[in-house]
Amino acid sequence: MELFLPIVYLAYMFISLFMLFFFLIIFLRTANTINTCPVPKRHYSVSVLIPAYNEEKSIKECIEAVLKSDYPIEEIIVINDGSKDRTKEIVQEIMSHNKIVKLLDKKNSGKADSLNKGIEMAKGELIAVVDSDGFIQSDAIRKMVGFFNDENVGGVTSNVLVKHRKKFIEKLQAMEYAVISWTRKLLEHIDGIWVTPGALSIYKKDALARIGGFDVKNLTEDIEIAWRLTHFGYKVNMSVPARVLTIVPEKFKVWANQRIRWNIGGLSTLIKYKKDFFKKGLGVFILPFYSLSYFLGLLGFGVFGYLTLRSIYYRYFMVKYSIGAGISPIIMPEIYFTPTILNMFGISLLVLGFYFTIFAFSQMKENDFIKRKNILTLLFYLIVYLTVYPFLLLAAFYNIVAGKKTWGTK
Amino acid sequence: MFDNPKHVFWQAFLAAAIVFSFGIWMGFLLENYRTGLADIANSKMDLDLMDVKLQSDLYKNYNMNINCNLAVEENILFADKIFEEGKTMERDTKANTFTEDIIYQHKKLDLLRVIFWINSINIKQKCNSSYHNVVYFYQFVKPNTNKGAEQNIVSNVLSDLKQKYGNEIMLIPIAADNNITSLKFLADYYNITYLPTTLIDEKAKFEGIVNLEELERSIQ
Repeated sequence: MELFLPIVYLAYMFISLFMLFFFLIIFLRTANTINTCPVPKRHYSVSVLIPAYNEEKSIKECIEAVLKSDYPIEEIIVINDGSKDRTKEIVQEIMSHNKIVKLLDKKNSGKADSLNKGIEMAKGELIAVVDSDGFIQSDAIRKMVGFFNDENVGGVTSNVLVKHRKKFIEKLQAMEYAVISWTRKLLEHIDGIWVTPGALSIYKKDALARIGGFDVKNLTEDIEIAWRLTHFGYKVNMSVPARVLTIVPEKFKVWANQRIRWNIGGLSTLIKYKKDFFKKGLGVFILPFYSLSYFLGLLGFGVFGYLTLRSIYYRYFMVKYSIGAGISPIIMPEIYFTPTILNMFGISLLVLGFYFTIFAFSQMKENDFIKRKNILTLLFYLIVYLTVYPFLLLAAFYNIVAGKKTWGTK
Repeated sequence: MFDNPKHVFWQAFLAAAIVFSFGIWMGFLLENYRTGLADIANSKMDLDLMDVKLQSDLYKNYNMNINCNLAVEENILFADKIFEEGKTMERDTKANTFTEDIIYQHKKLDLLRVIFWINSINIKQKCNSSYHNVVYFYQFVKPNTNKGAEQNIVSNVLSDLKQKYGNEIMLIPIAADNNITSLKFLADYYNITYLPTTLIDEKAKFEGIVNLEELERSIQ
């Protein structure tokens, strides 16, 4: 164990360095095109699908945002997935003065099944999926459809950002979304986009038909569909200028449940496509990267657990012996700093990670996060927020083993 | 040639490997530099100790009329120095992950401490001094969690004792498992079979946890 832990730390550091250079090199190669989007060579008819379950608070604003799109929309199909609130009535009220808005009312069967029903009904050659708590910008769809000039493109995703940023947990997620958006765009270079977020993504209807639509068994249909498109040889692109704002959990418990669900979905998808390892498409980046991140997350949790238990064990003996010696069990440790290979690497990586994150914010035009007032939030994001992930991953594993698969946010 | 997107994998790997290797190399340099500093500190202490030891030898073998007060004072100063250097050495030994040379410096320091202890016994006898030798034998090689906690507590009790009695106490921590032959002889002579053990004035022996009152009683 004496040399095992330093080796594990160094392995983490090497992988972190690799990922930093990986993104840096891709950025240097693609810097000129990151914020661009192709002009559509022809008109593509677009059907917008909005699956909704108990969304009375946001559905009106969501539909109105789509109606303001500067790209002509064929139809907006709201799929009411057995809502128990006023979602249906609100949609019907909007339908009364907007002919392109349609309602597909059905019993509750989940988001993926709702989308599949919507696809069956849709007339457009492109299917835009918009979450009912997603608010697209008026130019978003126009800035996405041009990617379909390439016939190999099966899906195009957008730049998903956080709408409300008042609460601390919302700010943290806003930072996270900005970094994820930037790295997702960079991953496009190596066909590594592993999710087409439900907030706003557009798919070629033919492609969806060929691959069999959304997987009704998967909790994260937006991850699974991106993997399946890649599995079938389709390209998945991202349009950075196409922005959509989404509402994120504002309570820790809801946030944690949402992340556990994402991990359950991710793990299920990983298991589903395990045979694609080292094959063209998924096997080049998505599968190895996903597997490695889960492995490192669990190993990190194991190391953290071991160190915590050892510390508790040590404290127990300290208390026991201090009682025997008649001294206080709380001993102020000497404060000193001795530079070592490990802590120097750690500090260097923290600084590099800090600049990487700030650079991602500037690229995503999230300049507010770079201001001095947000420095503490940024440090919390880097040091605490990201380290919670292994716990959520473990909870996801537990849920899978225990057979608990729930949506988590409602 | 390098335009293929897939080339980014080996390019990133190469860049990471270069920076990582540079970091490891810097780390080795840092550890060697630290070992070098420990060597210099040990050499300085070696000189000081030789001087202190020579004073007592002159007194012992040539029956010279040396100034006992000065000899004791020098001894106490050296004790403080060797104690502080010990703390630095402990920190540096923990910090050095990949090079083991500092362990030899630690052994050297322990050897100096043993010589100092013997010298301290001699000065005390010859000068009839009232200070107390408090020798703390501890486990240096891989103490487990339990042992680590036990040693930490004993070490803190001894620090309290030193703080309370100042120059009346000659606190000499010695790693007893450092494979030094002369130390083995002494450990056998004083029947040190358990670590940590505190030996006061070469008479009272406390194995494991000891409280301040017990130690105080034995020096009064």
